[in-house]
Amino acid sequence: MLQYAAIVLIMLGFYGLLTQRNIIKIIISLNILELGANLFIVSVGYVTGGIAPIFTSVNSSSHLLFVDPLPQALVLTAIVIGVGTTALGLALAKNIYQKYGTFEIDEMGEE
Amino acid sequence: MSAILLIVVPLLAAFISIMFKKAAPYILLLVSFASVVSLNYMPLEVITIGGFTAPWGINLVLDSYSVIGLYVVNSLFFLVISLNTVKFKKISTILLVSLAGLNGLLLTGDLFNLFVFIEVSGIAAYLITTTNKEPLATFNYLVAGTVGSSLYLLGLIMLYAMFGTLNMTDMAVRITASGASASQVAFPFLLMFIGFGVEAKLLPFNSWAKGILATSNKLSGPMIASVYAAAIGFAFGRLLTSVFVFSNTLLLVVTILVILSIVAGEAMAFGASKTREILLFSSIAQAGLVVLVFLQGYIGWGVFLIIANAAGKLILFVINNHAVDELKTDDVEDLKGLFVNNKVVGVAFTVASLSAMGMPLFLGFVVKMNVLGMMFEEGNLLMPAIILITSVVEGIYFTRLLVKLWYKEDNLPKVEYDFTLKYVVIVVAMLLMAFGMYTAPIENQANDLGPVTFIERGIL
Repeated sequence: MLQYAAIVLIMLGFYGLLTQRNIIKIIISLNILELGANLFIVSVGYVTGGIAPIFTSVNSSSHLLFVDPLPQALVLTAIVIGVGTTALGLALAKNIYQKYGTFEIDEMGEE
Repeated sequence: MSAILLIVVPLLAAFISIMFKKAAPYILLLVSFASVVSLNYMPLEVITIGGFTAPWGINLVLDSYSVIGLYVVNSLFFLVISLNTVKFKKISTILLVSLAGLNGLLLTGDLFNLFVFIEVSGIAAYLITTTNKEPLATFNYLVAGTVGSSLYLLGLIMLYAMFGTLNMTDMAVRITASGASASQVAFPFLLMFIGFGVEAKLLPFNSWAKGILATSNKLSGPMIASVYAAAIGFAFGRLLTSVFVFSNTLLLVVTILVILSIVAGEAMAFGASKTREILLFSSIAQAGLVVLVFLQGYIGWGVFLIIANAAGKLILFVINNHAVDELKTDDVEDLKGLFVNNKVVGVAFTVASLSAMGMPLFLGFVVKMNVLGMMFEEGNLLMPAIILITSVVEGIYFTRLLVKLWYKEDNLPKVEYDFTLKYVVIVVAMLLMAFGMYTAPIENQANDLGPVTFIERGIL
């Protein structure tokens, strides 16, 4: 079920990227796309009824049902990278606004 | 000396260079030069990171394939920055990060780690292209690059869900062992192929390249078209030959995409009237040719094709963009007669373009000749035909460009080339010629490079 939600978000992100002509809206679409991808990664490691994969005094047996920790670690990395890209995108948006005085690509008078 | 230093030292130096802003360009030069030299003292090995052995932990692979890649990318990187340290002091830190990213891209043996290094070098590349002062083009590059790497990540996660590993070698072994049919892995492979296609400038995914390279300067042009193209080419080649299993319909689809890239790139270069556009479209076609050679499984020749292209494009972009920076125009008509007063530079430019065309005596010829020969031996006639026809087109537009640039007329453009630039382009041009004539070492090396030189040591 979670995977369908992720795919819907990815498609939504693509739709936004293809239809929007505003710099800020493009950045938001990009974020939705990345969010969908991250959700998809987490969903891969999901186990119904699984617990956090940490050995504690309560959960000290390796026979318990754990969720897969690797996708969670991957998502952490992917989120950090996503934040970096978004920050850079916004910095560029500022530069674009300074140069053209608008966020609308159609009003910039060049490709 | 461990190869991990190639990633760690530039990153550390990047932090230090923030604190000592004045010394940053010298730190960059020093670190970059040290990377080239220290490669001599690194044994070929698989390095385990953090004490977790291969399929579980991340490993770095320094084998005969990646060591060539590292030599080429680090040397070209050093040459490019040595020409630009004075003018682009401000982005020294970024260049250090990009050096770390590119070295990681070539070294890593882990598919997710590869994604991280694509992003690290990618973010550095976006920042390098901001020196073009065209924020909109950089923004397009950023969007394309981010979408591409997201698709790569999606494909990678699907493979992880199917085969339960992220290690390249282990992945290849498990895919073969599981007996998964081509249609099962087609979708994730295609997603990853698209992700890399964006970075490698393959045709439907390369809309960013025109904005970036057609406005490039002396730093960003050679950096993106030569250094980055080489690094991405090497990483792509490793995936195509050692991890992906392209067969049947999927191979056909991918091959058609690549051929389209070659044909359209050459056609657009033929129609272009600006020097930077001619060079950028020709590098799109060359990127397509590199991927085609790797898809056919000619690993060694793919490597030397990357080297020939990267060295050639370095010369062409450095010379051209220097003239463009001074004259503020890149129309071929305005640059007419550029080399009449700059004969040394002109000779280097001519050598590079003749090598790109595939004329005898130059490295480009040796590579194309051997690739064509191997294709003929396999009874494959369509691809050699396409390569030959596009080479003719390439020959025509490069000759046209050369004639214009050497043409003597009254109103010659005034461009001064400094000594460092002349020295660098002449040395690279001489290497292109030397290996074009003395082919024995290249042929030996090319035939020695196997597809999976690291598998047997890699996983166990």
